[in-house]
Amino acid sequence: MARSKDLDTVAPDDLVISEEKTEEKIVEKKIEKTPPKKNSVSGKKEEEDVSNIGDKIYEILGHTKHPLSSILVKPDVFSFEERADKETIYMVARPHWFTNVSWVLTTLLLVVAPGLLKFVPVITEIPVKFQFLGILAWYLVSFAFAFEKFLSWYFDVFIITDERVIDIDFNNLLDKKFSEAKISMIQDITSRVSGVSQTMFNYGTVFIQTAAEVPEITLEKIANPEKIIKLLQVLREEEERETLEGRVK
Amino acid sequence: MFGDLYGYIDMAEKVFAILGTLIYLIFALVVVKQVGTMSKNVKDKFNGILILFSYIHLAMAVFLVFLAWTIL
Repeated sequence: MARSKDLDTVAPDDLVISEEKTEEKIVEKKIEKTPPKKNSVSGKKEEEDVSNIGDKIYEILGHTKHPLSSILVKPDVFSFEERADKETIYMVARPHWFTNVSWVLTTLLLVVAPGLLKFVPVITEIPVKFQFLGILAWYLVSFAFAFEKFLSWYFDVFIITDERVIDIDFNNLLDKKFSEAKISMIQDITSRVSGVSQTMFNYGTVFIQTAAEVPEITLEKIANPEKIIKLLQVLREEEERETLEGRVK
Repeated sequence: MFGDLYGYIDMAEKVFAILGTLIYLIFALVVVKQVGTMSKNVKDKFNGILILFSYIHLAMAVFLVFLAWTIL
């Protein structure tokens, strides 16, 4: 074994590295620098996992048939403000369509009501300008009623992404709520379907208990609660597997 | 005497109508604001149409105030 000649700068037992050997080391380092095939294999595996999850989601929920469906599966257009760059939306759910029936019927009654006023004798005594203004105001209020109800339904969304669940509640024009929990934080999921209409049209309430800051997320009047529970179970299992494999994003 | 009384009643009706329509105008402004905010939070296909409707509603509310001011 060759020893170093310059004993002032190098410790006595240090190996003298010849030029040939340094070249070899550089080559070795260069090889190390090239991206190892391991990464590309794991990347492919991740892609496969994602496509598998996609298939599973379609298997559980089916495909979206209409943009105003109660459940949108992997929507292309839909997005939300707090969405991360690479966050994939798996599902968006709104309250079941049957929950809209009551306000649609009420709106129809409101629209028809001014036509019935001619049967009320007192109305003829009111000046025409007041009648005109009153009817115009009536239709405007009717429109506002229907519009507000539609907005309450349209913006009341529950979103499942690859990382978290998000509940955006829009109860009325002056009351909105945003709550989220990571899928890994979900501890317990229960559902409740009660009453005639809920049993007939298969919608109900899903309670998601979490270990996050928001202890419980409640999804009211949601369509196919059992499918949503199944999807969340699949995603939880996937999240656990990711944690075990060290693929946490 | 009664002429004055009817005049006061007419005036009161007009004031109430204008106040009512002004309150409704504030409500219409709240609708526009909320639809805009929610459209930023939740982006979907029909957001544009909803924003348009909210503005039409606001325009109608302004028109109602104008009518209450002029025809009553």
